[in-house]
Amino acid sequence: MTRTIDSVATICRTAAMTDTSPVDRPVRLMLVDDEAALREPLADYLTRQGFAVQQAASAAEAREILRAETPDLALLDIMMPGEDGLSLCRHLVETRQLPTIFLTARGEATDRIVGLEIGADDYVVKPFEPRELVARIRSVLRRATRAASEPQAAEDRAELLVFEGWALDPLKRRLTDPEGAVVAISSAEFRLLMAFLEHPRRVLDRDRLLDMVQGREAHLFDRAVDNQVSRLRRKIEPDSKNPQLIQTVWGGGYMLAAEVRRRPAGA
Amino acid sequence: MRERLLSWLWPRSLRGQMLLAIALALFLAQGIGALLLYRAEHERIEGALVHNAAFRLGVAIQGEPKLPKGRGPERHERLRGSRVTMAPASPVRADDRRETSQEMELRRILIDQEVPVAEVLVVHRPVTGDALARELLDRRDRRYRGPRPSDVMIAAVRLESSPNWLVARVFVPPTERLMLRTLFGQTLFIYAVLVGAMWLMLRRITRPLAALTTRLERFAETRDSAGQLEPQGPDDIARLITAHNAMEAGIVALLDEKDVMLGAIGHDLKTPLAALRVRIETVEDDTERQRMATTIEDITRTLDDILSLARVGRPTDERESTELSALVAAVVEEYEDMGEPVELGDSARIVLPLRSTWIRRALRNLIGNALRYGAVARVSLTREAGAAVIRIADDGPGIAEDQISHMLEPFTRGDPSRNSETGGAGLGLTLARAIAEQHGGTLTLANRRGPGGAVEGLDVTLRLPA
Repeated sequence: MTRTIDSVATICRTAAMTDTSPVDRPVRLMLVDDEAALREPLADYLTRQGFAVQQAASAAEAREILRAETPDLALLDIMMPGEDGLSLCRHLVETRQLPTIFLTARGEATDRIVGLEIGADDYVVKPFEPRELVARIRSVLRRATRAASEPQAAEDRAELLVFEGWALDPLKRRLTDPEGAVVAISSAEFRLLMAFLEHPRRVLDRDRLLDMVQGREAHLFDRAVDNQVSRLRRKIEPDSKNPQLIQTVWGGGYMLAAEVRRRPAGA
Repeated sequence: MRERLLSWLWPRSLRGQMLLAIALALFLAQGIGALLLYRAEHERIEGALVHNAAFRLGVAIQGEPKLPKGRGPERHERLRGSRVTMAPASPVRADDRRETSQEMELRRILIDQEVPVAEVLVVHRPVTGDALARELLDRRDRRYRGPRPSDVMIAAVRLESSPNWLVARVFVPPTERLMLRTLFGQTLFIYAVLVGAMWLMLRRITRPLAALTTRLERFAETRDSAGQLEPQGPDDIARLITAHNAMEAGIVALLDEKDVMLGAIGHDLKTPLAALRVRIETVEDDTERQRMATTIEDITRTLDDILSLARVGRPTDERESTELSALVAAVVEEYEDMGEPVELGDSARIVLPLRSTWIRRALRNLIGNALRYGAVARVSLTREAGAAVIRIADDGPGIAEDQISHMLEPFTRGDPSRNSETGGAGLGLTLARAIAEQHGGTLTLANRRGPGGAVEGLDVTLRLPA
């Protein structure tokens, strides 16, 4: 059972994604993992899936590759002898703005936050389903492209989004109610809420919502936008039968009826 | 009742018990001392009184022991200005108590003086009960005002040669009462000073002990070596604290080592599992590949459970104020999304300080169990006296009553065949219980019976203190 979490926000943008369309050539991946037993079959699998894969057994080898070229996305193991994946990721984000996905054996929340804070875009826990990894890679690349083409959509991840006393931390995917208690939300609900918070007081129809919140769990999500909205309402509306925050708009759509403010996360 | 009072009076702390013991011992010692002092002083005063009386009587005897005639039963004849009277009969009244030791002393003194003593009597009497004494006192008061004695000693002697009694009256000085008061005051003062000093000393001894106890309780909960005590207090206790600190450091080192080891095991097992998971993608047969994937998932889940169980007592994450109903709903929705028959019933809004990753894990295990063995999971969250109560009910066969307590132990499954269809290593309940306990709560299992007494399903109750 692989549980995976991704984040909507990204500050990793590639210049290459904006001008050259990925249709022209295969997407280039850099796979960094010290375990040859995993790295090699995974590289084979990804190659079969149409990616151009370069392998590195260590952070040092990865840096060697980067000297010659810039891949489109990096897959990094966290625990490696020598320089670890977190440190390499920091380097990639700072120097190349390269989208990264962590492959890790650890599944604890602290790792996830550390990984995402230093700028990784997503995270899969070993053992992962290879198809899921591919879905994640595509999702991260899609978001990176979108983020690059409409820069205003890429919000600063260090900021909290505050509405009606509620606060959403996009980085930690943590929603707190007006009293400060954490309210658990699923990935789909998080993305849905992000869509609303990025477009307050605007009517979003179902197709638009689906497009904006489409994530890895798309196969689950597209079953019912309405269902997700009603789940989200149950968690954030004082009376979910008579919703005030997320209003249904006649003619097919929803709207967040609240002011959204941005506040530094530390405050 | 008396026992309860006694147990209430009996101090429970080391300091209290030691202080009580010392206070009692001091009380006893000082009481005896004061008593002896009082006795000695008392005897000194009594002796002085006897000497006084003997002096007066001696003067009277050597003077003129002649008895004026025909003046009533006890003629209050003053003999040469002394307070000695002469009486034909014993002055002792029925309600007087004779002071035999003083009588013996008086007799000895008089015989030493070669007075031919036939009989000696000494009694004490309140001034108010003796007319002559009152008269004497009134006369004295005219010239001298001072504290009025309350008692008078009456010493009488009959000589061998005479049938008459010579009676001397000596006032018992009021200093005896004064002395008693002073003695009592002094004793009390010394007592208070000593007990107070002991209290301070005991505090010096017991304060570091109390600090150590608090520290131990905290360590038992956090298992974190931060906030260790400085060695303090008397040598023995300072050494105890030093030894405790060393032990704490040892425990922390062991736990750290365990965590590192578990991390390494997790990493070392999950990487080959991940490799395996990738390799099976080349298997052509879809059914076969799916089976392999399921097996790998089972191994991973068991591994996660083992790693979690080993870490549950030492969580690295802090508790966070969390809305429990949203958390329960989130887990239920995960199962709903997988198309599982999960129902969410009552769900009260309850905010608790929780480690939500752990609670999620417990709920997943419990709901997963209900679905695996009970076909359906009905989940509810209610607030009961002092607790948030999460109930997960299923429609399964329940658990044999004698197996229920056994079920919470590791590697136990309700299904004795342990066939792989049902999956899991039997750690789910153990882990859920450990997570409940990590939060100070409880996990209980109970069969739900229908009207006919037949088992209709299992109710699992996770209770978290609110």
